[in-house]
Amino acid sequence: MIRLENLTKSYPSKLGPQYIFRNLNFEFPTENSVAILGKNGAGKSTLFRMLAKSEYPDRGRVLTNKSMSWPVALQTGIHPQMTGRENTRFIGRINQVKSLTKYEKAVQEFAEIGNRFDLPVRTYSSGMRAKLVFACCINIDFDIYLIDEATSVGDPAFRRKARQALVEKNTTAGMIMVSHELDQIREFCTSAVLINNGSLKFFPDLEEGISAYMEEK
Amino acid sequence: MELSFKTQLRGWRTVIFALFLREMQSKFNDKLGLGWAFVEPFIFIFAMSFARGFISGSDVHSVPIFVFMMMGLMGVQSFMTCTGSVPNAIKQNKPLYAFRQVQPIAALITSAFMEFSIKCGVIVLIALGIYLLDLDFQLADPLLLIALFLLLWLFSISISLIFAVLIAFVPEINKVKNMLNRPIFFISCTFFSLQDFPESTWHWLTWNPLVHIIELSRYACYPSYGDAGVSVSFIVEVTAVSLFLGLALYHITWKKILAR
Repeated sequence: MIRLENLTKSYPSKLGPQYIFRNLNFEFPTENSVAILGKNGAGKSTLFRMLAKSEYPDRGRVLTNKSMSWPVALQTGIHPQMTGRENTRFIGRINQVKSLTKYEKAVQEFAEIGNRFDLPVRTYSSGMRAKLVFACCINIDFDIYLIDEATSVGDPAFRRKARQALVEKNTTAGMIMVSHELDQIREFCTSAVLINNGSLKFFPDLEEGISAYMEEK
Repeated sequence: MELSFKTQLRGWRTVIFALFLREMQSKFNDKLGLGWAFVEPFIFIFAMSFARGFISGSDVHSVPIFVFMMMGLMGVQSFMTCTGSVPNAIKQNKPLYAFRQVQPIAALITSAFMEFSIKCGVIVLIALGIYLLDLDFQLADPLLLIALFLLLWLFSISISLIFAVLIAFVPEINKVKNMLNRPIFFISCTFFSLQDFPESTWHWLTWNPLVHIIELSRYACYPSYGDAGVSVSFIVEVTAVSLFLGLALYHITWKKILAR
């Protein structure tokens, strides 16, 4: 459970501050996999980043006692000049994993990139990058995994593997996912939160959420 | 969930260490590698100091010209390289703030520590050079010299922090900063001594804490050089004020810096 208290968030612009959320109060369920749905510009990514604490609200708080992953997306924290191994070690260090060597090995195995693990990330294809990032994240034990759509670029085989890993984690951990592709959402999530005009609504059943989201358009 | 101070400190140390390794790996990826970072300022300082010795006399106000120049260049170079690159650290590491453990000031501390270690390496090289070439060198008050060096860095980092915050909001300030940095090289008593000027004009120079630091470090080596017109207390005051200003600015803005 993540509690949002009196959350207000705006971005400065030439037309004055653009409010995305005003005095929002909400209890974000995290027991199972939740999809965040909403139109472009509704504040999906903003909400996502605030849940991850990579951005902070103007006023109000995001409260939780769960450990959360960083917002896992293609670009975050991966340095293109550094090798996959160096990047992995960096992420491991930042998150204070117990054994770097073990973590390194687990990531290399899960990401299925073999020897290219020791080449700079700029030589990777986008699919390989996605695999690396996802492997880095799933091999650390979090209570909640935050996953951006970009990570699901992998091929079907890898996606199956990713899903398998998440299902295994599902007994102990939840997941929050942002994506535009309903196929992927259906594949990974069981419930949904819909953002509409700065207010949130929780749908325990994913299909209800999706149909409400489709009606909006 | 309240974390104890000790765990927090450990967390910060881990993050800064990880950033430090990352910077080492990415910054020196070329063939010359880390060595260049030490060799370049070393050659610059050594050559400039030596050349000046050839051109004019053997000593300035009882200080051998090599030591005189070296102190000046070391002081001004430390300040200029620090304020030249450290303020950009906050912007450069922007993608990393997605990890909530990494805060902008960690990037700044890492970059400052990097520059500081490089300068310490350069000092070792210069000391080695002085020893091997058997140059005339005397160190009357080593504690004062070390204190001055640390104060110089604290001051440079505070100024860098102020600029880093400003640049995060108004990127153009970077250009202004680079322009302001240039005259500093010429007015910080690098090539001359405060004693070369009549006392009535000193106030044009002594507002600059670098003048105090450089003149006092020469005095720390050769007490006969004298310390007229400069004082440690002025350096400490300016450092304290700029450090406070920098930290205060950072404290009220850091969450907004993340959103930029």
